[in-house]
Amino acid sequence: MKFLLNTGSTIDEGRLAKGGNKYSEEYKKECAVCWISPEDFDLLGCPEKVKVTSTDGRYSIVVNTKCTDRVMCGNIFMPRAIWSNVVVNPWTFSTGSPLYKGSPVTVEPSDDEVLDAEDVVLKLYYGGE
Amino acid sequence: MVVKNVVCPVCGGSCEDIQVELKDNSITVKNACKMGNGKFQEVVSEHRIKDPMIKKDGKFVKVSWEEALDKAAEILANSRRPLLFMGSETSCEAQEVGLHMGEYLGGVVDSNATICHGPTCMGIQEAGLPTSTCGVAINRSDLNIYWGTNPLASMPRHMSKYGLFPRGYWTKRGRFDRKVITVDPRKTDTAVASDLHIQLQPNSDYELLNALLTILNGKTPHHSVEQVTGIAISVMEEMVDMMLEAKFGSINVGLGAGSSFGKHRNIEMALNLVKELNNNHGTKFRIGALRGHCNVAGFNQIATYLYGYPFALDFARGYARYNPGETSCVDLLREKDVDAALVLGADLVGHTPADSAKYLCQIPMVCIDIAPGPTPSGADVLLPGVIDAFECDGTFYRLDNVPVYFEPFTDSPFDFTKSNEDTMKQLFAKVKELKEKA
Ligand code: SF4
Repeated sequence: MKFLLNTGSTIDEGRLAKGGNKYSEEYKKECAVCWISPEDFDLLGCPEKVKVTSTDGRYSIVVNTKCTDRVMCGNIFMPRAIWSNVVVNPWTFSTGSPLYKGSPVTVEPSDDEVLDAEDVVLKLYYGGE
Repeated sequence: MVVKNVVCPVCGGSCEDIQVELKDNSITVKNACKMGNGKFQEVVSEHRIKDPMIKKDGKFVKVSWEEALDKAAEILANSRRPLLFMGSETSCEAQEVGLHMGEYLGGVVDSNATICHGPTCMGIQEAGLPTSTCGVAINRSDLNIYWGTNPLASMPRHMSKYGLFPRGYWTKRGRFDRKVITVDPRKTDTAVASDLHIQLQPNSDYELLNALLTILNGKTPHHSVEQVTGIAISVMEEMVDMMLEAKFGSINVGLGAGSSFGKHRNIEMALNLVKELNNNHGTKFRIGALRGHCNVAGFNQIATYLYGYPFALDFARGYARYNPGETSCVDLLREKDVDAALVLGADLVGHTPADSAKYLCQIPMVCIDIAPGPTPSGADVLLPGVIDAFECDGTFYRLDNVPVYFEPFTDSPFDFTKSNEDTMKQLFAKVKELKEKA
């Protein structure tokens, strides 16, 4: 299903990131998450995990789901962190700032493993090719 | 001993009223929010990066400060087009050395200021900035608008210090003298605490601002705007009425406006709305960016007064050029247009899109940081960072561009460097040595 991805801070994301805990389980639990509205969550079949894929289809990331009425139908939210930034649209429209808010993405249920932050760097970025 | 009036180096709020009591292995902090407190605990944390390191065969090896610094200087001096990324979690003084080093090397110097409120700066260049300091907002504002921002998560004390609760000269009853409107596609805690929540569709800020301007001018916008923004025209009219009833309004824009479709044009439209309110409608408004990172405003200020441009400065031709989209870090990395990088006090690997982050991991990278994370993992040389405002003095610029001088409450834990400014200066001296030898 197609969605618009919104990314942003959450208070615990801030607390953990600023406290230097980006490689902690707690940070992963807070940030490797996709917030989905109850209607869309039902349509997706109430999955525990989803694979979010970037606009151009080149990058995907698997994260846990959180069903919440804080987001509207058709939108998803992910805390700003390495997981969400894997799928953020890298084009900056000649401003230097990527589309951290409002990137079109695809979401599908997944059974794959949710990577640790360090593994995202090592597996996806570092010698990933 | 309790130290008072410590400045918090975490978000653009630069709270200057923190109380700290440092004991052997613990630190007690008063007045800071959850996020600020997290960073204060870094002074005594176990995971602090304490040793200079070089990556050999894919693994970090502890080396002497001299060896690490030599290697870092070598990477920069041998690069044909280095990117120097001066993060926000450090002082203007350290960023200034980075700007001079970029000029010397003919590289590109950029900062969090770009991926944060870069589009806001560009909007201001288009339309001018009708603004004031936060002090004016405290004393005067009876309406507070949070546009595309959730300060309860990004600047947790904004509401209590500047936005909603503070009692000022004409706002003696604090919250009771103020109304709050939040414009956000998400039902955030800030939105829940507001008098009016405009839950617009993402990427429709420009259309909504345009519609508000139309209503302000006494006309009814085309009905299609309801479908585009998801907001009924009657609700927009209610918002305009609240704005017109206000004696003094304060608009705080976040990344919701500058980071979504429309980018700097969204900001330009918001600035035009404020100008219209001020010029023709008998009310007064200010607008300001809510700057989530510590010293992003500082980079804009010093880069502008030293070289004429607020971010994305390219020195390849020997003088500064500014062309966001070409000379800005995400674009340079995505297009593989630099061949080495220095990252100071920022998690660039964690906070740029995959194409850029991946390339950054592939080129030689020097990183100055305090704790493990994606950018230190991707680095080739890792230099321990000193925490500004805790362990050394310097200057930050607050969200409203007010400079705040800070003094430390403890010393640098290292004998090889006193501050990030010191590290940058030592590195620059080595780079010059190598360049001159060549
Ligand atoms: S609001 Fe910002 S500056 Fe103030 S204590 Fe919290 S993190 Fe620090």
